[in-house]
Amino acid sequence: MNIEVLLVIAFGGALITYLLGKISKRARNVSAVAISLALVVIIAFLYNASSNITFYTGFLKNLSLVLRINTLSWFFAITISVVGALSIIFSLSYIKGKERTDFYYLMMMLVNASMIGIVLAGDFVTFYIFWEIMSWSAFLLISYNRGTAMAAGMKYIIMSVIGSMAMLIGILSLYANYGTLNISEISTFMASASSGYILFILITFGIGFGVKSAIVPLHAWLPDAHSQAPSPFSAVLSGVLIKMGIYGFILILYVIVGLKNFLGLSSNGFSFHYILCILGVITIVIPSFIAILQNDAKRLLAWSSIGQIGYIILAIAFGTSLGFAGGTFHILNHAIFKALLFLTVGAVEYRTGTRDLNSLGGLIKKMPITFLLALIGAFGLIGVPLTNGFVSKWLIYKTLILEGHPFLAFFALLGTWAAILYTYKLIHNIFLGELQEKHNNIEKTPFSMQLPMIVLALAIILFGILPGIPLKIINSIGVSFGLESLNINIWGIASDTGALNTINIFMAVLIIGLIVWLIFKAGRKSVKVTQDNNYAAGTYIPKGKYNYSVNFYNPLQRMISPFLKDFIDDFYMWISRGIKKMSISIRRIYTGDIGNYVMYIVLFLALLIFIQIKWNLW
Amino acid sequence: MELMVIMIFKIILVIFLAFIIGIFFLGLSRKIIARIQWRYGPPITQPIIDIIKLFNQGSMSHGVLFNFGIILSLVGSIVVILFLPMGKMCPLSSSGGLLVILYLMLLLPLGIALSSGEAANPNASIGISRKFILALGYEVPLLLIFLAVMTHYNTISIVKIVKMQSNTGWSLTSLPLLLSGIAYLLILPAILGVRPFEIFKAPQEISSGPMVEYGGKFLAFATIQHAFNEFIGISIFVNLFLGGASNPGYFFLKMLVVFFIYQFVNAVFPRFRIEQALKYLWKWPTLLAFVGLIIVAITN
Repeated sequence: MNIEVLLVIAFGGALITYLLGKISKRARNVSAVAISLALVVIIAFLYNASSNITFYTGFLKNLSLVLRINTLSWFFAITISVVGALSIIFSLSYIKGKERTDFYYLMMMLVNASMIGIVLAGDFVTFYIFWEIMSWSAFLLISYNRGTAMAAGMKYIIMSVIGSMAMLIGILSLYANYGTLNISEISTFMASASSGYILFILITFGIGFGVKSAIVPLHAWLPDAHSQAPSPFSAVLSGVLIKMGIYGFILILYVIVGLKNFLGLSSNGFSFHYILCILGVITIVIPSFIAILQNDAKRLLAWSSIGQIGYIILAIAFGTSLGFAGGTFHILNHAIFKALLFLTVGAVEYRTGTRDLNSLGGLIKKMPITFLLALIGAFGLIGVPLTNGFVSKWLIYKTLILEGHPFLAFFALLGTWAAILYTYKLIHNIFLGELQEKHNNIEKTPFSMQLPMIVLALAIILFGILPGIPLKIINSIGVSFGLESLNINIWGIASDTGALNTINIFMAVLIIGLIVWLIFKAGRKSVKVTQDNNYAAGTYIPKGKYNYSVNFYNPLQRMISPFLKDFIDDFYMWISRGIKKMSISIRRIYTGDIGNYVMYIVLFLALLIFIQIKWNLW
Repeated sequence: MELMVIMIFKIILVIFLAFIIGIFFLGLSRKIIARIQWRYGPPITQPIIDIIKLFNQGSMSHGVLFNFGIILSLVGSIVVILFLPMGKMCPLSSSGGLLVILYLMLLLPLGIALSSGEAANPNASIGISRKFILALGYEVPLLLIFLAVMTHYNTISIVKIVKMQSNTGWSLTSLPLLLSGIAYLLILPAILGVRPFEIFKAPQEISSGPMVEYGGKFLAFATIQHAFNEFIGISIFVNLFLGGASNPGYFFLKMLVVFFIYQFVNAVFPRFRIEQALKYLWKWPTLLAFVGLIIVAITN
């Protein structure tokens, strides 16, 4: 299968789906699902393919547009297409009955198509074009709900444009220096570049990718955008779209600059790779703790996304083969469990109409399957053993400890403990505790919403018990970057300094679980009771007043919240207010009075004449 | 096949020993506290009698998760025990090391939290919230301590850490890890959830917190889990800082010494408030552990 055809299907399919929507809603839904599933199948068949196609040469001088596929792009492409397809299936019920649905599907499919385009791009012009398509269609989706979503979208696109401008400077400078934008050609040139130039390229591209992946000083757009976007798109946004920034980082650090140059880049004792690691650690710790303070389910998940991105950045910047494997595996894992969590919150929002953690509770009685899926997602996020998140985090911690960076490992581990607190708060406040009276008549989640969540939950457990499946592919990516090959088995990693064997853990948990369960069964059967049975000792208590969920971690919140102000966001908002004020004062010169405008023209001419008389420039 | 049988035998033996030791400690603890407080106290076998009694009593359940959570919690603690070397026995020695232990220890509060969360009893929810805050409190120094040990021995395998100590002497007596060892002793009551850190149970305020809805076999399970927890908390210290032991008997003796140290604290101190506990945990133990980790990082 040709990779050009893949993109034609992806983009053409989006357009066809949109046009079909004008005729029949049903046909549109069928086409959207069919095309996104077709993309998954085609990409799956491209496994191990490697090709390099020049599809257009007429663009500027010497610039041919190239598409290429290798294991790295395949790995990303399959993640994108699977999460994309699942969120489109989820959308079928979620978006039904809302306005502008044709437009919604068009944009969802455009985002997916452009992301596939990004990872298949073989030169920076193609890369940049797809990058911008992605940014702008994401903007339209974030502001889909209008109202406050408009402001969130604005914030996103402004930061995004600043990022891509920085990237554009880098691209233009590469072109000016080397006369080509082909990624593989540039990487051979860059091998002998001066360290100052490498630093320049890393910073310009780093700003572009950093905004997209929301590394801490550049994260301000993410909490608003993630919480305001429609839930299926939040899943794509958090699951794969921010990973495009990570893809960019892998591309720039490992392919363009090369691992050796990157690790060797230092001046005055500051090594760039260490600074990036520290940024990663900051990105883990602070957002994870901010997440504890959130009361909006999606905002909580959004802050947690930033925290998890920190792990990926830390691991990839660390630049060991274990670290690279852990970081890249975490990309996949985070895509899976965060998409799952956003979808479950979306399902809850779809049924109850709210995602405010203070006004939910007890939904386990009404949506048991959704609860189970959310729990699996939460376990993956925490990294409970036998879920995929555990394996990737284990790899990251191990390399940090054994390479002698215990402080980096400490902050990474601390982020996990914050993750336990906020995920339990999420689970408890939505599903556990007392059921609110207004939610007494809630129905189960429709099957078309459950199906994608079930697929994701199964993937979490599958990759948790058999991590060898993805790790083999990741290992071959690492080897192609010149990293040492790891001793990967289907059950984990064999090593002298501490092996990981998930099958052993699985068997132990399974057998002991069975025995404990049998002992539990052997005890006297328990009577099923309701909330007020024990708590009120059988007397009457008013309903709906006994739920402990508001300010769940109150003593902790009081202690840590003064230290967790998002002053970076405040700083950006301060700048934006300043610019707004300046623009308003500039606007004063447009009085609307013709006389004034004539005066400006006369004054300007007078100025020109004065300059000519005085200095005789022309 | 023969290897398999030995392996299974070892697993059963380890779990059984851990259970006996944990239960013994629970009984002994009540006796010691009673004697310090000028009471006679219940017989040492009281916890076992309680468990047998509780199993035969009726109980109430709030749903599937209510049952599942308590099972999960108990399974978590038993699996942790399989990772901890006791004497020369360590059934899951090469399956992930200390990092897995660190993560499996999470299942213990998480299981209880999920279980009592379904009961929708506000007292239970308050208790869970406090338990997680307390866990965050002691995890900060605990992580620093674990990292100091792992960095010092440059391995994440707890079996190797024990083996290396038999060559170089106990970690506690080697200078780089001295501070970390002291820090562990300072946070041990918090890990085990005894006074002054039994904030999440607080029987007088929130009716035993997460335990409030448990009765019958649920309470029996919770007690067993508590016993295992006691074993885990102490045996990690013995393995990491007191050089483990060559046989279970010697191992038990070392555990007993550590047990006595924190029982005296348990007997005389009143309960902290949650903020006070956090302040304490994030001040002295964290400082000691932090300095300890710096020393380890420098000397390596």
